[in-house]
Amino acid sequence: MSEIVLEEVSKHYGAVRAVDGVSLRAAAGKFLVLLGPSACGKSTVLRLIAGLEEPTQGRIFIGGHDVTRLEPDKRRVSMVFQSYALFPHLSVAENIVFGLKVRRTPRPEREERLARVATLVGLTEVLARKPAQLSGGQRQRVALARAIAAENKICLMDEPLSNLDAQLRHGMRVEIRALQQRLGMTVVYVTHDQVEAMSMADRVILMRQGRIEQEGAPEELYAQPATMFAARFIGTPAMNLVALADGPRGATIRGAPETPVLAGPGAGRVLGVRPEHVALTGEPGVPGSVASAEYHGADTILEVRVGDETLFVRAPGRRELGPGARVRLGWKPEAPHLFDAGSGVRLDLNQTLPQPA
Amino acid sequence: MKHVYGWLLLTPAAILLVGFTHYPAAATLVDSFFSTGTAIRPSRFIGFGNYALLAEDPIFWKVLGNNLWFALGTIPTSIALAILMAVWVNDRLPARALVRMAYFTPTVLPMIAVANIWLFFYTPQIGLVDQFRALFGAPSHNWLGDPGTVLACLMVMVIWKEAGFFMIFYLAALQSLPPELEEAAKIEGASRWHFFRRVMFPLLMPTTLFVLVNATINSFKLVDHLFILTKGGPDNASSLLLYYIYQVAFSFFDTAYASTLTVVLLALLAGLALVQFHLVEKRVHYR
Repeated sequence: MSEIVLEEVSKHYGAVRAVDGVSLRAAAGKFLVLLGPSACGKSTVLRLIAGLEEPTQGRIFIGGHDVTRLEPDKRRVSMVFQSYALFPHLSVAENIVFGLKVRRTPRPEREERLARVATLVGLTEVLARKPAQLSGGQRQRVALARAIAAENKICLMDEPLSNLDAQLRHGMRVEIRALQQRLGMTVVYVTHDQVEAMSMADRVILMRQGRIEQEGAPEELYAQPATMFAARFIGTPAMNLVALADGPRGATIRGAPETPVLAGPGAGRVLGVRPEHVALTGEPGVPGSVASAEYHGADTILEVRVGDETLFVRAPGRRELGPGARVRLGWKPEAPHLFDAGSGVRLDLNQTLPQPA
Repeated sequence: MKHVYGWLLLTPAAILLVGFTHYPAAATLVDSFFSTGTAIRPSRFIGFGNYALLAEDPIFWKVLGNNLWFALGTIPTSIALAILMAVWVNDRLPARALVRMAYFTPTVLPMIAVANIWLFFYTPQIGLVDQFRALFGAPSHNWLGDPGTVLACLMVMVIWKEAGFFMIFYLAALQSLPPELEEAAKIEGASRWHFFRRVMFPLLMPTTLFVLVNATINSFKLVDHLFILTKGGPDNASSLLLYYIYQVAFSFFDTAYASTLTVVLLALLAGLALVQFHLVEKRVHYR
């Protein structure tokens, strides 16, 4: 009933293609995250689903009905805005029941829903206050409560956590996910923060310049990035992408011809290894020298120069390695990814050499 | 030493303010308790004598009544029009800048010029209004010469001039409203009218208060057009308080009585401003 389908949807502003032929499906009751850098068109997709923008081309279906030209209020969707869009002159309670009043829900039901929603998001104490008297986290909850109070099966969220501090953000991530599962809502959630995408989503759609770059479960995006862009976007620190060169015994890292890292030719190909998959090993690892070491508590992020390239290594615990220290790097045979340097597309890895481990 | 520098810096402005604002204001208050001096009879203290005179002056009451009707007739209408125009030109519409400019033009014109334009509109037989009425066979009418229509004619003209000015304030206020508010309301199913009544208008309240105070003051202080159009006539039917003060002071040279009238006008304005702030502030939402 609450499935959202986009068919070849485009939105052009003059010559700018904000959204360019996007087709997607948000399954009912699932949490779909639209992920991407700023100006990749993810918010526009959300606004197209909400009906705040009309697509230039393509069709939008909600629950099997074509809603492409339907007014927002007829689509039965709720929306949480990045700025929360609370009405500053209304109290928290009035903000939450705004839509119910508009739709002339009878007073007893309104009160009942208000009480339930307020308990659900923990706002019972502050119902009489104005938004200006609330903390950022509380305002966020009011916006959430307003969206939930409408009891729509679909909730659209446009970077709802980007105005909160890191600690609060973590708490709200957990809460939003729990709410979504408890109420069985279909959520389409826009964010540029890959941590939010990874931790909350059932499915992630990674967007780039108005197009879908990759779609899949969070673990798919992490384990099988389809392009260099996807590889760089998911994970912190980002995946190491180092240019390869041809060597006598296989492909080598550019500027470090002694140690082959892959069988076959290297030129025109890019090797990707996640920092958490790189280990400090002895012989016969890839030799490099430490450029900097950043201690994070649970682990230390080492910046290591190998030939002309730089690799980040996430080493557990504290490592007393000053700049200039000589290290050798290694990774498991299944760890590396291979990309075409020109197109950025993922290449098959079947010719991988067993690596020095 | 610091104090000396401070005062030295303040002195030029202070001299001007005291000389041309504060001293005359105080002098006016003092003068209202004295009789008008002449060459033979110097001015002397008469207490509230001038005020007693004022209470019995039928022209004063007539003019005060005119002014109240004038305020009542122009302020709400021009504010309503201003909001309407602001909402209209805030939307995406073709040639928006041109429409905005067109609405604002009357504000830029001097009142004297406006009065001259409208004089042509209201001229019997050859004026625009009569020409238009003639199309439907209506008889010619002396709009400004008839005590029954003259005040209404002035009101229409002043609304025409003021609404565009107030529109600018509303336009600025509208543009400071985040567009997400309207989008959120739309998604919640609110109609445009509902959004205006429940969200936009309450959020415009600070602007409304500001405009209301200004409009009230304007309705008492704007009398330039009377010099061109009616000179307060016929039979004081279009005279306003400030114009009457001008007549008393500079046509009849009764400076003491003019001072009395001025004090009354100032007290009236101060009272109105206080009431407005007090009443409206309760319903004004300040962020």
